[in-house]
Amino acid sequence: MIRVLAFVFTLFLLPFTTMASDAQELYLTLRSKVLAVKDYTADVRVLIDVSYMQIPTLEGILYYKAPDKVKMVRKDGISMLPKKNISLTLGSLIPSGGVTVLDAGTATIKGHNLRILKVIPDDDKTGIVLTRIWVDEAALLAYRTETTTRDEGTVVLDLEYGSYARYALPDKVSITMDVKEYKLPKGATMDYSEAPGTPKKPVAAGGKNEKGRIDITYLSYKVNKGLSDSIFADKDK
Amino acid sequence: MIRLLLIELYKIFRRPRTYISFGVVTATSLIFQLAMKAGGREFFEFGMQDISEQFNIQGNIINGYLVAYLILQSLLIQIPLLVALVAGDALAGEANGGTLRLILTRPVSRTRLVMIKFMASSIYTIMLIVWLAVMALFLSLLVFGDGDMINLKSETFILLLKHDVMWRYACAFGFACLAMTTIASLSMLLSAFADNSIGPIIATMGIVVVFTILSNLELPLFTAINPYLFTSHMVGWKGFFDADVPYRAIGKSAMVLFLYTSGFLAATILYFNKKDITS
Repeated sequence: MIRVLAFVFTLFLLPFTTMASDAQELYLTLRSKVLAVKDYTADVRVLIDVSYMQIPTLEGILYYKAPDKVKMVRKDGISMLPKKNISLTLGSLIPSGGVTVLDAGTATIKGHNLRILKVIPDDDKTGIVLTRIWVDEAALLAYRTETTTRDEGTVVLDLEYGSYARYALPDKVSITMDVKEYKLPKGATMDYSEAPGTPKKPVAAGGKNEKGRIDITYLSYKVNKGLSDSIFADKDK
Repeated sequence: MIRLLLIELYKIFRRPRTYISFGVVTATSLIFQLAMKAGGREFFEFGMQDISEQFNIQGNIINGYLVAYLILQSLLIQIPLLVALVAGDALAGEANGGTLRLILTRPVSRTRLVMIKFMASSIYTIMLIVWLAVMALFLSLLVFGDGDMINLKSETFILLLKHDVMWRYACAFGFACLAMTTIASLSMLLSAFADNSIGPIIATMGIVVVFTILSNLELPLFTAINPYLFTSHMVGWKGFFDADVPYRAIGKSAMVLFLYTSGFLAATILYFNKKDITS
């Protein structure tokens, strides 16, 4: 009787262990494809949409070197990118090292049938607690990642691919992330009020964080040409 | 008219005190530029803490445009004092020197005399603003170079592309001329009441300081009167550094300042025409 029960139990669990194994394999294959890009230089157009920021579209050159070096340079201009820990590269949002991968079903995004993987890093040194990845199995491309970090909230990357899909490099990345509120004393800034005497707008309820969105359009890439570390040194500091 | 104006300008620029203003603007600009050169990045990052925590900002942040903006901001209170130094002396100085009665014995109407003194004070004011532009903007650009400009407002972070900044400064300095002309007209009015120039200068500063405090206090009692204070509109030059320039609001502020200037000038003429000149 016990042997029968064990057999039935094994039969019941087998599909799940196979699925987990498939998910793990899919994740590792995807990760190796993403990590095959050691460096790139890209002409980019960055649009930052945060409620308290008024920034025009910034055009510049984006340098990336694995595993996590990113720098945007604008000739004689100021560049702004999210900080390192919520980096905009797929490579840094896919956990490295040992991971546990779980199959979390399927979904359709923009006409692509995608498999959802839940990736839990074995250690949390990177600050990543959990990553969900929406993967096109056939093309081996991640179309969306949702990364929950320990200190910096959740970062969602929506990716669109074009001619550099073979490197898993997107043509466009939309980053949705938590941004903290910004405030300086009015006595220090002495703002000009467009309507003096108008009562201040009430502060929105729901805490001090809000969502910000950054769209990065990649106009062209130069992949794996070799980049010097000196490019990433902050010469302005 | 031109000859009388030239005489008034000669009187203004013959006095050593006139050059104190240009000296103060020069010294303040140089001190500020030196300080920004030494530790500007640290100073500015303190203000940008909330942004820097989340964004990596790179490039020539402490550039001439930003330094000029900070200098203008710091001189908001001082420039009216420098304008009052001359405009407050226009009529009261003559009374104090005992030359007012002598001037009025000449075939010049009192109205014309007030208008000429106001025009001379306005020309001095414009020259001071032009000097401010040279010291604060052009010298800063020379020392720090150009680049995109960051403007930190109390609840907004603004980034202006470098090719989009210079015209804003031209408009801002133009607006500053209008705002400071309002101060000149106020000083002239107070000058008409007094027989020595110290009183109008101090009174002008007192009014500017009190009104500026009222303009910046967001208490319900004061917000009701804020739209009617000229100090609320004097900072209209800052509107040119918004990403989308609020032209309508700036135009309204310019109109308020123009009305104040006209009102002060009319009151000066009215009072001065009826004043019993005893000195």
